[in-house]
This record gives sequence, structure tokens and C-alpha cells, in this order.
Amino acid sequence: MNKHYDIVIIGSGVIGSSIAYHLSERKEKDILVVDKGFPLSGTSGSTQAWVWVHNKTPSWYGELSMYSAELYPFLGKKIGDVEYKRTGGIAPFFNESEREKALKLAEAQAEVGIKVEVLNREQVLEKEPALSPSIAGATYSDIDGNVNPFRLVELYIKAAQKNHVQFAFYNPVLDIKKEKGLFKIFTKKEEPVTAEKVIIAGGPWTKEIGEMLGVHIPVKQVRGQIIVTEPLAPFLTHTIGGMRQAENGEVLIGYSKEEVGYDRRTTLDVIQETASMAENYVPALARANVVRSFAGIRVIPEDGFPIVGTIPGVHNAFIATMHSGITLSPLIGTLMSELLMEGETSIDLGRLSLRRFMKASEKV
Amino acid sequence: METDVLIIGAGPAGLNSAYEIASNGVQTVIVDESFFPGGQLKQQTQYFNNLPRQFEAQRGITLAETLANRLHSLPVTMLHKHTMIGVYKDGSIGVSNGESTFPIKAKKVIVTTGAAEETCLFPGWTLPGVMTVGAAQILMNRERVLPGKNAIILGCNSFSQEVAQQLKDCGVNILGIIEKNTSLGRESRERLHSDIPLLLNSYITRAMGRGEVEKVFINHNGSEQEWRADLICIGNGLSPILEPFEILDCSFTNKEKLGGLLPGYDSNFKTENSSVYVAGNAAGITCMGGVLLTAEIAAADVLRHLGVLNREDAARQTTYLWKELLRIETQTDSEVFYARVASIQEFHEKNNIPLPTSFHAILEEC
Amino acid sequence: MDKSTIVCRCEEINIDEIETAIKMGASTFDDIKRLTRCGMGPCQSKVCMNLVRELLSENLGKPLKEIPPSRMRMPLKITRLGSLVGKESSNNVLSVFSESSLEEGEQQNE
Repeated sequence: MNKHYDIVIIGSGVIGSSIAYHLSERKEKDILVVDKGFPLSGTSGSTQAWVWVHNKTPSWYGELSMYSAELYPFLGKKIGDVEYKRTGGIAPFFNESEREKALKLAEAQAEVGIKVEVLNREQVLEKEPALSPSIAGATYSDIDGNVNPFRLVELYIKAAQKNHVQFAFYNPVLDIKKEKGLFKIFTKKEEPVTAEKVIIAGGPWTKEIGEMLGVHIPVKQVRGQIIVTEPLAPFLTHTIGGMRQAENGEVLIGYSKEEVGYDRRTTLDVIQETASMAENYVPALARANVVRSFAGIRVIPEDGFPIVGTIPGVHNAFIATMHSGITLSPLIGTLMSELLMEGETSIDLGRLSLRRFMKASEKV
Repeated sequence: METDVLIIGAGPAGLNSAYEIASNGVQTVIVDESFFPGGQLKQQTQYFNNLPRQFEAQRGITLAETLANRLHSLPVTMLHKHTMIGVYKDGSIGVSNGESTFPIKAKKVIVTTGAAEETCLFPGWTLPGVMTVGAAQILMNRERVLPGKNAIILGCNSFSQEVAQQLKDCGVNILGIIEKNTSLGRESRERLHSDIPLLLNSYITRAMGRGEVEKVFINHNGSEQEWRADLICIGNGLSPILEPFEILDCSFTNKEKLGGLLPGYDSNFKTENSSVYVAGNAAGITCMGGVLLTAEIAAADVLRHLGVLNREDAARQTTYLWKELLRIETQTDSEVFYARVASIQEFHEKNNIPLPTSFHAILEEC
Repeated sequence: MDKSTIVCRCEEINIDEIETAIKMGASTFDDIKRLTRCGMGPCQSKVCMNLVRELLSENLGKPLKEIPPSRMRMPLKITRLGSLVGKESSNNVLSVFSESSLEEGEQQNE
């Protein structure tokens, strides 16, 4: 007899762990989370971990991000201190000509209730004196902030474990078959297990796992590189589009995109460009020492928006894959647990369905 | 900046390979992070009498000068106070001088970044007054500062014995050498000085003090004793520096006798990245003769790939050098040589490259 | 040995914290690093890497040679940010603001 679970979640990153935790809070179910590596060894452990809302567009996407950001203060009370800080977010621009775009953004976001201010140079420098006087202005919102991704994932997992969710690390899924209405999941380290429901939360490996179910999931792997300074006395109070200062004083800097497959090396080319960006934004950083760099591989669905919900054509299979997993994890965990337990969600997920990528003939 | 050959590190291996390469008229750049060439030799007062034939026996300090002076009239650019900090996408090495960072594009790179000392874990090891034997030697020979008055040496090996003797010569009271093993290797036995107490089957259980080491608890043959000391010198051996190899996409292997983790390399000291070579202690911890010879073997293959040496001449030279390496390494510690040969065999097997015929003679000697 | 003995002096991580991470399933240096910050300080694990590998080896009952090294990253030495500033631009480094396109998606700030 194979070991049987009600739900198997593939992937123990921020999304898989959040779903596991939120499911475990609802009803007693047998849940297993399998991961090819160890928590935080992938994308969720290589991020600046902004909880970022204000210039997520179009505004329905911003709205979703806002709902998730609003859940963070409650999350901390439930799973423990994830070092969430609603610092306010500043996205600077350098040309006066960009102000019009900023005003349009503020107008569009206001319609869904995201309060975005367009600041001039003086207002930017008043808020964040370390920013460069060559900045023309910035968009700003109170709702943005950041979180400690290490604590976040660790505490999701610990809270889920407390609710009897099983975790199997270093155990890549090799294949999934459907037998007599159940999923049979073959893993590297253990005997195959069966599951009534399966959730793909494999981040950058989503496409490969989808193929095991015979489903094409259109996602790209996009590398981001980040440089880290030595701990500095606190001087950046906001989350800046491009950098943030962590609680221990380190400044994490970087916003880059390269499509190079699953290659997590950093390159001096991008490190140097990132250093230039840092100096342009915050001139005083030129004097700071850089101690390390790291790279993460984002998963980005082809149209940029999350893919969340049922997998059309495969009964009882679900997917949750997105960029911005840190920002969205409290909301996605909540919605996915509603979907699995009740069959419907409090926020319509229609826009996020995998169905949008399917040809008319494939839609079932 | 462009060059034929780039050498990372101006220690004995880097300087020796630079000489072999540049004396053939090949443009060579050496990057080194300190003001002067020589690497760790600069403070090594120990006497090296087991060197390749072209060198007279001499102290490390003079060997550094010998190796550096040979380069004066050769096409070598020495970039002092420059550090390799990274790699660009096109494979160029990123070098920083503290003011700016720039690429150096080279046809071949020889990484001779040497080794680092290993520390040892015991309660109190982070107190001031605890340092490695190498750090104690730097304090004495470079900074002209006595590191303490009453010293305990942790770990008995040639380097720690050397430093213990030197500390003693400088007037430091050596309370004893603490060694966890119950017996010593041949080389250490030969070096034993009757006037420095040696405690086998011993380890430090705790070092204590207000702000610095004041007393040290030693477990000797199962019973604890308390010593008054203000200096603990840790001689826990060396391990190859790995960082440059990782970012150059080289593979690693593990050989305890060579200092633990080290880059994998073929019988010409070429790594898995075909434009990157390794030599010296970075290729496994060895004696000074081994450091110098590995640099010459790597240099010979670099010259062959650059078309300076033809295949036959390179093979002849390499065979000679391997025999020298066998002679010198086995005189000091034959297990180092055997571990090296085993790691090379594994590298060839793993990468499916046949061992050159010239190397079979070496295998037979083992 | 006293479990409060420091292993990573940069981040002041002790044996107990490392063994707790191992109990959670950590089996490499980097697993421990992400849970504890061990090795993330100025020396970038140059001092503690083998100490932690030895603790892993003891706790997991695995030979030391099977414990992989930590991932080593650029810059290989602490480098002043100003001296890293490059002249080249490849358009790989982006501005968050300029990505707030109101027309269509591709919006991936985090």
C-alpha cells in the first residue's frame, strides 16, 4: 500500500509553504509538501522580499497585491514575527517628463483604493534624505514594505508542521501518474505516494512539473542579481524601488532581469551595473563596502500575471505560480485553501486561470 | 587590459610559473593583493632545503626575493595592490585596485592563490590571544611584535613546530604543544625539540579570561589540567583557497591529505575550465618544492597551448617535472603525492580524458 | 562541547543554533546559512566553513568529504561600492518606476 494523502503540494517555497499553512488552519487533512531541495534554497531565499503594491499594474493586479499586503500584519500574529515592516515605498524617476506617467498611475490606482502620491524632488528628499538630489520625483505609497523572507518561509513551515502537515525535503518529484482517480507521485527518496489532490507550487520548475501532468504551463525563468553591503547605521527608512536596508543594517540592492535559464551565478557585469544604479539613487552608498552578491531565478508567467486555480482538463490538480510570491503569499495561501476546501474563492480567480493561455480547442 | 597569460597571486607558485612563461617571451600579468611579491614567503624565516634543483636551499624570505628578482627583465606586468574580485560573462577576470574595477582578458589563467589556515573549535577560541600559528609568525616577522608571553601551541605539525621554535627564540615561554593524536608522523618526530614539551592525546577544553586569554584548560590523557597562558597558537593545518575556482566554474574534489576540498585538475594542472590552471598550495597542500614544481608543470602546458612549446618538448619537460615532483613530495610526505595522483586519476576518469602516456611511468612508481 | 561556543564569529552563531537547523533537516552549509545567517557576515564563511562542515559531518554521521562547500560569491573580497561602479550598460538593470506600464502586464517588482 502506498502512503495516501488528501493533498500533496509540490514545492516548499513561499507559495507552497503558505498554501500548506493556510490549508492546515482550516480542516484536519493529511497534507504532504515535497521539495527538491531545502527551504529557502531556491527563489524564495534569494530575493529582496519587498511587499510591493503601488505600481503593480493594471490596477486589478495592484488591487490583488494590496489585499495581500493588508493580510501581512495579521499573518505575523498567527505564525510569528516575520519582520514585516510597512515602510512605505518610493519609486524614483529621474526625468521631469516621467511625471505625467506617475500622475496617470496615481489616478488609475486610486480607482481601486491604492493611495499613490506623486512627489517632487523636495518631497522625495524630505522623506528620504539619502536619495540623490538628481532625482526628479517619485511615486510613493504607504502600503509598500518588506519582510524577512527567511523568517517568513521558516515560520510558514513551522506553523504548518504544528498543524501536522508533513514535509519531505531533498526529495524531487520524478513523475506523476493518475491511477483510479488518484494521483500517484513518484519521488527520488521515498516510495510513491498517492493523493486525492495535487498542487503545483514549483516556482521556476513549474513547467517541468506541469509536463508530468501533460499540461503546458507557460512560464519563463528570469535571473535577478542582488548585491549586499556591510551593515550600515540605519539611514534608509523606506523601501526604495531598487533597494532596501534590512534590519541588521545591510543594504540589499538590485533590480535586474536576464533570461539565462536556471543559472544562479552572479556576473561582474551586472554587479557593476547594479553598483552604478545604487550610486545614482543613493550617492552615499559609494562609500559602503559590498560584501556579497547573490542571484535568484524568478518564475514569470508569459504575460506577467499569476497563474492560480484549477488546472483545466486535470481533475483535482491545482496550480499557484507567480512572480511576486513574497508579496502575494498571504493572499494566495488564503484563496487556495478556500478553493480546495470549499470549491470557491472569496475573490474571483477567473483572470488568473491557466485557461487564458489555452487555445480554444484545449479549453474544457 | 589584455594579456596572453594572467596569474592570480604572486606567491612562490605564481612567481615561478610567471618566470617559466615569460622567459619564453610570453606576455604575462600577475595580480597580487599586497604591496610586495612573495605571498606568505615574505615572513617565512624557515629554511627550505628540499627545493627543485635550480634553487639553492634558502630561507623563505630570501626565496621570495630570488623568485621576484628573476622576473625583472622579462615581459611581466606586476599589478600590486590589485585583487581578483570576480568574473565577467565573457570569462575575463575582474580585478579591483580599490579605486576601480576592470576586466583582464587572458588566453590562459593560472590561479595560484595558495591556502588558508584552519582554525579549531573550543569554548573561548574567539578570545583575543587566540590566533593561528601563521598569524603569530606575521606578528613576529613583519610587525615585529611579540604575540604573547606564555604560549600554548595547538596541533603538532612542521609549521606549528617551526613557529613554536621561533617564538621560543624570541623569548616567549612555550608551555607546550598540544596534540590530539596519540603518535606523530615521521616529519614531526624528526623536528621535535626536547626543550619544548609535547602533550599527545590532548586537547583544549576551554580558554577563559576577562577580555583576553588568561587560563586554558587542557585535557591530557583524559584528565584536566589548568594552565596560565596569554597566547594560544592554532596550528590546525592549511586548506586550499577555493573561491576563485568556484566562480571560474571549476569542479571540486576532496582529499584529506591535500588539505580537504580542492579544485579538480588533470595531469597538467588544468581545471575543468580549460583556460584555467591551478598550481601551488591551491592545488593541494604540499612542501615548498611541490609548490614550485606544480607551477612549472602548469606553465609547460600553458606554453604548449599557446604554441610556444611543441608537443614533444612539452611532454619531455612535463615527464621530467613529474619525476622531480615525485622525488621531492615523497621525501617530505609520500601520502601527499599519492593523494595528488589519485585525484588526477579520478579527474581524468570523471571527465573521460585518457591519461597521457608519459604519466603512466609516474603511476608505476606509485 | 559547550553548545554556546561561537562557530561563526561574524554573525555570532553558536553550535546550538547550527544543530537546531540540522535537526530541522539542514544538510549543507548553505541550508544552515539561510536559517541562521551563519557565514553571511564580512568574512563570507572563510573562517567557519569547515567548522560547520565538521559539525554537519558529526551530526549527520556522514563523512566530511560528502558535505559540500558553501556557495562562494563575488566580490571575492569586500569591495567599496564606488570602486565597483561600472561604465558599461547592458539594460539588464532596470528601474522599478519605468516598469509601471499602464497598458499591459509584465510587472514583476518584488
